[in-house]
Amino acid sequence: MKNPFQDFRSVQYRKREIPLDRIVREKEETLELLVQGYLQLVEEEVRDLVWLVEESKVEKAYNAAIKRIDGSQYDPDDIDEFCALLDSSDKLPYLISGPAGIYISALVNCAREDHIVLSPKDYERSFHFLGYKLPEGKTLVLQGDVGDFAGSGLFGGRLIVEGSAGNWCGAGMMKGEIRVANNTGQNTGEWMRGGEIHVDGTIQSVGTKFYGNTGYRVLFGGKIYQKGKLLVPRALVKE
Amino acid sequence: MTGRCPEDEKGTGVRKDWDALLREVWAKVREGHLFPELPQPEWSDGQERVALEIKDKKIALSRPFVERMSENMAEAEVMEGLLDHAVSHHLSCPWDFPTHMRLYGEAKKTLKEPRLAQLATDYFMDVVADTYVMRQRETPLPKLYEQLQRDRVDEAIHALYQRIWGVDLGIEGHETISRRLSRIPYLDRQRWTDSIRRFSKVLHSLLVEEEEEQDGADEDNPMGNHDLQQYSAQEVESGLQDLAREAASPAEFKEIVEDFEEEILEATEPNEEGMGLGPGRSLDADVLYYMKLAENYALPVCTMPTRKSGSLYPHHHAPWEVGMPYREIDPWTSFGKIMPGITQIWKRREGDIFGEEEDVPDCLIMIDSSGSMPNPKRHLSYAVLGAACAAEAYLRRDARVAVYNFSDAHVGGRRNLNYTDHRFDIYSSLCHYFGGGTRLQIEDIEALQRDDVPDIFLITDMQITNLAALIELFKERANRVTAVHIGDNDSVRTFRRSMAPRKNVSIFAVEDKQSIPAIVLGKVKEYLYS
Repeated sequence: MKNPFQDFRSVQYRKREIPLDRIVREKEETLELLVQGYLQLVEEEVRDLVWLVEESKVEKAYNAAIKRIDGSQYDPDDIDEFCALLDSSDKLPYLISGPAGIYISALVNCAREDHIVLSPKDYERSFHFLGYKLPEGKTLVLQGDVGDFAGSGLFGGRLIVEGSAGNWCGAGMMKGEIRVANNTGQNTGEWMRGGEIHVDGTIQSVGTKFYGNTGYRVLFGGKIYQKGKLLVPRALVKE
Repeated sequence: MTGRCPEDEKGTGVRKDWDALLREVWAKVREGHLFPELPQPEWSDGQERVALEIKDKKIALSRPFVERMSENMAEAEVMEGLLDHAVSHHLSCPWDFPTHMRLYGEAKKTLKEPRLAQLATDYFMDVVADTYVMRQRETPLPKLYEQLQRDRVDEAIHALYQRIWGVDLGIEGHETISRRLSRIPYLDRQRWTDSIRRFSKVLHSLLVEEEEEQDGADEDNPMGNHDLQQYSAQEVESGLQDLAREAASPAEFKEIVEDFEEEILEATEPNEEGMGLGPGRSLDADVLYYMKLAENYALPVCTMPTRKSGSLYPHHHAPWEVGMPYREIDPWTSFGKIMPGITQIWKRREGDIFGEEEDVPDCLIMIDSSGSMPNPKRHLSYAVLGAACAAEAYLRRDARVAVYNFSDAHVGGRRNLNYTDHRFDIYSSLCHYFGGGTRLQIEDIEALQRDDVPDIFLITDMQITNLAALIELFKERANRVTAVHIGDNDSVRTFRRSMAPRKNVSIFAVEDKQSIPAIVLGKVKEYLYS
């Protein structure tokens, strides 16, 4: 009887390594590092799965995130893919928008590239704090709508939102520029100390800060423009 | 197309036997791919621009294309490259019809436009198939791609090939796109759904530009179009069953299949077994969804050991009244008197002969489509699925099915379908959704009753305004009743209590898909009349 596998004896069958294998392997390793960093951050900063937005907590989380990613080698594509990974809930055990946004911002701020484009429109969830503390010389373009606290604590960078921003956009920003193609939510520019916010659509409300009991409303500093017109500061408005 | 080429175009005077050459190359390619179960490829009179087509697993190479390409490379190399590509589609991606549809579904979720989704799916399948070949064997595919005419998307894809294969195809530019595309794990089958989403996203703007430039004109893929003709009708049939089973909702299923209406209709034409939608139908994706989903279940139907004799036999007594025929009077129970109220007459019925032959009677399906039931076109309706499974079970046993679909039956919220074996009509009636209240018309059910006592399959949440009338009807009737209730409530408990003594009524509860196979149709606690 003829061996049914006779014909296979002459076949030299071995898989060759092609550049794709290396590219994918390196990408997986980088993503694994970023994911581990994020999970450690969440473990340390988020107790009982509750994370309250307080200035000190945000600052602490950001510093912890910077520490986690220190020395990591990644590029904007890795950040984009990490965002996609966070967005698909089945890949990561939990997503908490605040720390996630802070971690993404830390990644953007520490990246070697100066111009980074992310596409929030491709994600089902919205991340808060995108563009947090964006430093001078960096431009972050966000294609689509973003969550709350976009560009908060901006530190001289340029944040371009090709959609709408949520509440507290530009809160506490020090310097730099935020451009929002559509609308912003409430408390836009709250605690703003410098820089400019340009909104091409509507602003639901501008942030307020009261000094003593003078009865006058002023911002700390900075300028807010709506559809090209200076909105704040105007002449001091009597409440 | 077969035969000899009269003379080599290059004027060498050597006569070429194209068939022999194809056989020779095919043997090499087959061995390289570990002998796939594919028939011997053929030559076709195809276009110069499109290299190959695959129909029902048969590969046909375009000879004009091979001749044109052979100006720059050997014919055998062109043929080998093309065959590598075609075989890899069969062996790696898409592999089968459901995978093709799943990939398309994911691309469509990202790109929204059917045409763009089709293009993205085709490009993705090509990249995967070719990359498989590149990793597994020496192939002239890169050489072939170097010679191909390219549009803008082709250029980007070829730039990707340069990166992931480590070859030079003479492409410059498309750096960003090819870099982003190169990060996708094309050879990881488990991640294809994620991969095609990412692939489509990266390619989106380029596809839109390309489409706008072509102004909607269909540009053929030089390496062959990926239509559904490559799959056999059986593959399409069973693939649709898989897709229906996996789809989270009828809408998800519809989103994919309605874009392939013609091909699917062709494949679901009725065959010898009488399956399919039926002749001259248009594709109703909702009907097709429940049809294919129901085919995944095989509910058992109890047979009845009855055979009609056709003769009338005295069956039971009824009081005699003036005007009734004297010949039916039973003197033994009438005490010898002719007096209304005392005198009894025999009521006759067609007699049953209980023999060894068993058969499945026809079935009347009563389905509740009131507002308390989910709309089968938006969500998976267990009522429609259960009823569809019942219909399939009876049709498989050569019985016929009638449908009574009701909501506010007394104000027109009802649809009656007389006994038929036309699947499309049955499914259309089952899938119809009225909404509104729930009230049966007993007369409608009586109208669908017949002397040969069909089975009754009722599926409802039992929140029927005149449930009492229905209970009375079932108490009077000898039909085998399979009552299926969705959910649990007071009405269900009332119905269960009332029907408890009835041996011909069996009641099942359906909470999810898993409880459907537990239904046994026509189950009776013991045979009536025995």
